[in-house]
Amino acid sequence: MDYIDPHLHMVSRTTDDYETLARMGCVAISEPAFWAGFDRGSVESFRDYFRQLTDFEPKRAAQYGIAHYTWLCINAKEAENVSLSREVIAMIPEFLECKNVLGIGEIGLNKNTRNEATIFLEHVDLAVKHKQQILIHTPHLEDKYQGTRMILDMLMGDSRIDRSRVLVDHVEEHTIEHVLENGFWAGMTLYPVSKCTPQRAADMIERYGPERLMANSAGDWGPSKPTAIPDLIMELKKRGHSRELIQRVVYENPKTFFSQSKPFPH
Amino acid sequence: MSTKQPMAERSATQIVADEFMIARAKIVELAATLDRIERASGNVDDSKNMQLLVQGIHILIDDQVEKAKRVQLLMSRDYDPEWQNIMSISKKGG
Repeated sequence: MDYIDPHLHMVSRTTDDYETLARMGCVAISEPAFWAGFDRGSVESFRDYFRQLTDFEPKRAAQYGIAHYTWLCINAKEAENVSLSREVIAMIPEFLECKNVLGIGEIGLNKNTRNEATIFLEHVDLAVKHKQQILIHTPHLEDKYQGTRMILDMLMGDSRIDRSRVLVDHVEEHTIEHVLENGFWAGMTLYPVSKCTPQRAADMIERYGPERLMANSAGDWGPSKPTAIPDLIMELKKRGHSRELIQRVVYENPKTFFSQSKPFPH
Repeated sequence: MSTKQPMAERSATQIVADEFMIARAKIVELAATLDRIERASGNVDDSKNMQLLVQGIHILIDDQVEKAKRVQLLMSRDYDPEWQNIMSISKKGG
């Protein structure tokens, strides 16, 4: 079955992973900008990273017939450095016309601090001013509930935000309802330990239905599995769900959401 | 359990049949972790994490629904609706 992985950090994966993804049915991915595992020291490091996301990775993906899209930002972990964050935000418009850029992301909170919230709001302002879609990172573990509620407060406090153009990622059992009931898209991140398993994602699909809901693998440099979406497809098949339902979550929904950005084929 | 989901294709009987071995393995893992703690030196009576584990286990065996969500909330920091005032963060964008 063809599928789209809407949140996959391919800069931290090998070319072999692209081949495996293609064999598993992955036809497109979107790669949000994220933390590199260390704090970068200058705006030039981000400029090089954005060149990698907008030039090199699309070519690597294309070798295996996979379409590569991306989102740009400075992530929440590095947002504690407010001056660097502002330099990066000022530089992002240089890349917004690149043909694989879908919007601003993954912006959000990490430890739910004032500096993180300040830089989050400045990213949101950038997105609104440039009519960009937004991809949101919600914190992990004990910070997730508080951080998700804070993010939603900030988004809903801005009347300029079109909620149908915002994807809130890493939802789990205690946050999904707040995201969906307020009109945002929700992403479930399938991860071996700290996030959501394919089984729990299948539970949430059964509980809330497929409307504005999608799944991703994150596939970053931590313990993660870039082929986690095929695991979800298998789980849903085992439970007897229809091909139409599965296809809606893993293909149609990402396509519908991304189609609101100019670079994505309509 | 009172919250039956309309999209679920499987009956409760079927789910127990399908997932018994998986759930059994997870219970044994949890039991072995508690044994390991018990055998080790030191005292965890004042450990907040240990208290959270015990409270989480109580949720598993109570008669209330939404167990996964309640365990998640148990293990979460509190949300204060007044956080924007406390942090002096603007409430209005644009």
